[in-house]
Amino acid sequence: MPDFRPVLNLRLKLWRAAVLLSMGILVGGLYFFQVVHADTYIRLASNNRLRLIRFPPVRGEIYDRNGALLAVNVTTFDIMGYPMDIEKNDMPERLAELLSAHGIPYTAEDLSRSIKRQSWAPYRVVRLVGNITLAQMADLVADPEFPRELFPLPVWRRTYPAGSLASNITGYVGEISENELRQFSEGNYAAGDQIGKNGIERQYEDVLRGTPGEESVEVDARGRKIRTIDTRPAGRGEDLHLTLDLGAQRLAADLMKGYRGAIVVMDAHTGEVLVLYSSPSYDNNPLAWGVSLREWNALVKDPEKPMLDRSISGQYPPASTFKALMGLAALEEKETTTALTAHCSGAFTVGNRTFRCWKRSGHGTVNLLRALQESCDVYFYQVGLKLGISRILKWCSLFGLGSPTGIDLPGESPGVTAGPDWKRARFKESWYQGDTVNYSIGQGFLLTTPLQIARLYAVIANGGKLVRPHLSSTAGVVARNLSLEKKNLDVIRKGLDYVVRRGTGRQAGSFGITVAGKTGTAQNAHGDDHALFAGYAPMDNPKYVAVALIEAGLHGSSVASPMVGEILSYLLVPEARGKAQ
Amino acid sequence: MEEKRLSLRENLASLDRLQFLSVLALFFLGVASIFSAGAGFDGRGSGFAARQLLWGCLSAVAYLGVLQVGYARFLSWAYRIYAFALVLLFGVMVLGMTVKGSQSWFHLGFFRFQPAEFGKIALILVLAKHFCRYPPLTLPSFLGGLALAGVSGWLVLVQPDAGSAMVYGAIAMVTVAVAGAPWKYPAGLIGLMMAAVPLGWQFLKEYQKMRIRVFLDPWVDPLGAGYNVIQSRIAVGSGGLLGKGFMEGLQSKLRFLPEPHTDFIFSVYCEEFGFIGAVGMLLLFGVLFWRLIETAMRTKDSRAKVLIAGISAWIWFQMAESIGMSMGLLPVTGLPLPLVSYGGSSLLALSVALALAQSVYISTLKTY
Repeated sequence: MPDFRPVLNLRLKLWRAAVLLSMGILVGGLYFFQVVHADTYIRLASNNRLRLIRFPPVRGEIYDRNGALLAVNVTTFDIMGYPMDIEKNDMPERLAELLSAHGIPYTAEDLSRSIKRQSWAPYRVVRLVGNITLAQMADLVADPEFPRELFPLPVWRRTYPAGSLASNITGYVGEISENELRQFSEGNYAAGDQIGKNGIERQYEDVLRGTPGEESVEVDARGRKIRTIDTRPAGRGEDLHLTLDLGAQRLAADLMKGYRGAIVVMDAHTGEVLVLYSSPSYDNNPLAWGVSLREWNALVKDPEKPMLDRSISGQYPPASTFKALMGLAALEEKETTTALTAHCSGAFTVGNRTFRCWKRSGHGTVNLLRALQESCDVYFYQVGLKLGISRILKWCSLFGLGSPTGIDLPGESPGVTAGPDWKRARFKESWYQGDTVNYSIGQGFLLTTPLQIARLYAVIANGGKLVRPHLSSTAGVVARNLSLEKKNLDVIRKGLDYVVRRGTGRQAGSFGITVAGKTGTAQNAHGDDHALFAGYAPMDNPKYVAVALIEAGLHGSSVASPMVGEILSYLLVPEARGKAQ
Repeated sequence: MEEKRLSLRENLASLDRLQFLSVLALFFLGVASIFSAGAGFDGRGSGFAARQLLWGCLSAVAYLGVLQVGYARFLSWAYRIYAFALVLLFGVMVLGMTVKGSQSWFHLGFFRFQPAEFGKIALILVLAKHFCRYPPLTLPSFLGGLALAGVSGWLVLVQPDAGSAMVYGAIAMVTVAVAGAPWKYPAGLIGLMMAAVPLGWQFLKEYQKMRIRVFLDPWVDPLGAGYNVIQSRIAVGSGGLLGKGFMEGLQSKLRFLPEPHTDFIFSVYCEEFGFIGAVGMLLLFGVLFWRLIETAMRTKDSRAKVLIAGISAWIWFQMAESIGMSMGLLPVTGLPLPLVSYGGSSLLALSVALALAQSVYISTLKTY
């Protein structure tokens, strides 16, 4: 092998020469700026009278599907100033005095703290006082005592005309927290900015927000503006049109008055959400304008949990509404047919455990259609055992149970579809047949959100497509075809028709439209049973799917089913509005 | 060949003192500037300086450790170290995808660790080994070395950390040139890169394009990206011949300078110590480079020659870029000034690299 070392040493010498040459150039550059032109830069530094003002962007507005306003902006004024100028002459004291003279209560400490929190650079503007009305501002500026170093800045504040009707959907904005500020370090946000904290406001923050504007001004020694050097106007945020129907939402709120629970209505084919109501609700207006810690704690610790969106984050056993999926799975897996019957004596024994049917006297001989119609538990116990837990879990996951639906709202719960693996890990116990029996009537280790149930029924209603629910009209339709047999779907749809026509859900059918669906009564370890009804209408050509869930509402047949009937009728028969019942 | 290992005491006694002292001086000048830069953030300044000192202690431990192990073993582990670096870079990339936004570090409790810094050492080691086993006299070997640099450089580029990726590029170019590649190879490569500039422009992020436009004319955007360049140049220029004195720099104190303790540390230093101070710091860097390359010429181990060429390329590129940027002569990239800027991962990686160079120096003193 030849010796390369002489070559390498030659190259190293060249490299050393290159390094020294480059350093010479750097020294030359420094000489040019620091010695030749030093005077220029010393003058520029001492005259650094550049000030920056930031204009927060106007946030996009939010509308429902008919153009009704859900979130709008109103003008208020902030009093702004530069830390550089404020620090000089007891500004907080002077301003606090002036404000109290005009009936606006602020202490000098409040002001100082607020200035300190926002201070990023002495030449960058900060907000001293917020939320001043036009009248107050005019009054203040007219006062000769008003410090010349301060100036009013018009800003937009958010209000929600629909208030508690849609607060779980719109969410609310609030002042950006330090954590959020660190997270969005792209420079688009500054302390004191408004940011979506929840709901659509948070989900579509990027769309709604717009881009902040900036202006640089030159000021004199007393901090008064001499001239504008450069401006960059703020860009307005984009408006957002939701698929929500505020009228129907209002009806849902009326129906749910006095109850805890949720109502969901969705377009069965597109996943457009028309109603998403959670009861009790809360008013989001005070939250957007700032509430005290005490008020906030009262809201968060309220035992009724108004801030929990029960429609997407509440997890409940699907109870008998699950039987539609069980029946469909059994048909698809060829474990049952309409010709196959079972005998219900009112009870069913597995090993040494006895499981009762809700009807103690029994339903006698039933087939799948009749079992759905009468919600016969014993029939589905047997179906469940035939399918076995692994196939049940497979069908759950196919229909999206156990994972979030993907709706465009933050904070959605995935639900629970726990199986043998989970039980072994959690309780160190093996899976019993009794657990499978419980599963087959939608109880046990199975929890779903009302929205997941609506999505499940949408599959039945639309002929086998799992849609992604969405609220923004820009979200687009996402549907996955589950390739289900049409004749199997027809059997289930017939069964659900029987439920309303002559079974447990008759009360859903008394609103002038044909509804098909299923009742449910979910066992509640903490109190009275939850009532459920999931259904769709019109029966022969389904358009909307709806779910009502009432916590501690006892039987689905009496409370939940008329709610679904009425709200579907409201949406399908506009001319009958107000005349229902 | 089995060598008798030196004890730590013997190792320390035979250090290249001039190199060591220049490094130490640069580090303490850095701590002082970080302290001064931080004084603008009401009281947080001493926090940065204290942390940098803490990192200095940690780096000293690493320095001694590397000295004891010796560069030869590091070279023999080169491929494994390189593979490990790739895993780390890949890990940080995956992490960056899952966490919103870009991510170029791992959180290690109190500190953040940047694999891109560690990757520089790994790359230099693997190139030193590769180019001595397969000298870049033929095109395949030349391209093989470039591929090694390309893989890790690409992982850094997509983080995205274009600045560090450029350091990887500089390391690759200098090592390949020192390893004796015929001039036509690197020249051809540079030609290709020049030709690809218009194409590459398409792939730049908007903020990167703005940085380059602003470099060409800072007044294009005097409020945004250009603001930094203008203010940094004002800081450097207003330092004058003698500077305003330690802790007297106003540009950094009033927060006219962004990131004064990292990216713009040289501007802070220049404002306070003037032209004389700046030339002094450049002299220290000059001594460092002189001693590094001297060591490379003395050693009989070809791998060590390439190794040191790579280390010097790394320090040189970041120094030139950081100082050039502070005067507005080069675009803003966010690269730290080696040994001076605040930054733990960078300091730690540099001390490992410099200890490797010292280890080479010690080996040249051995008599066989």
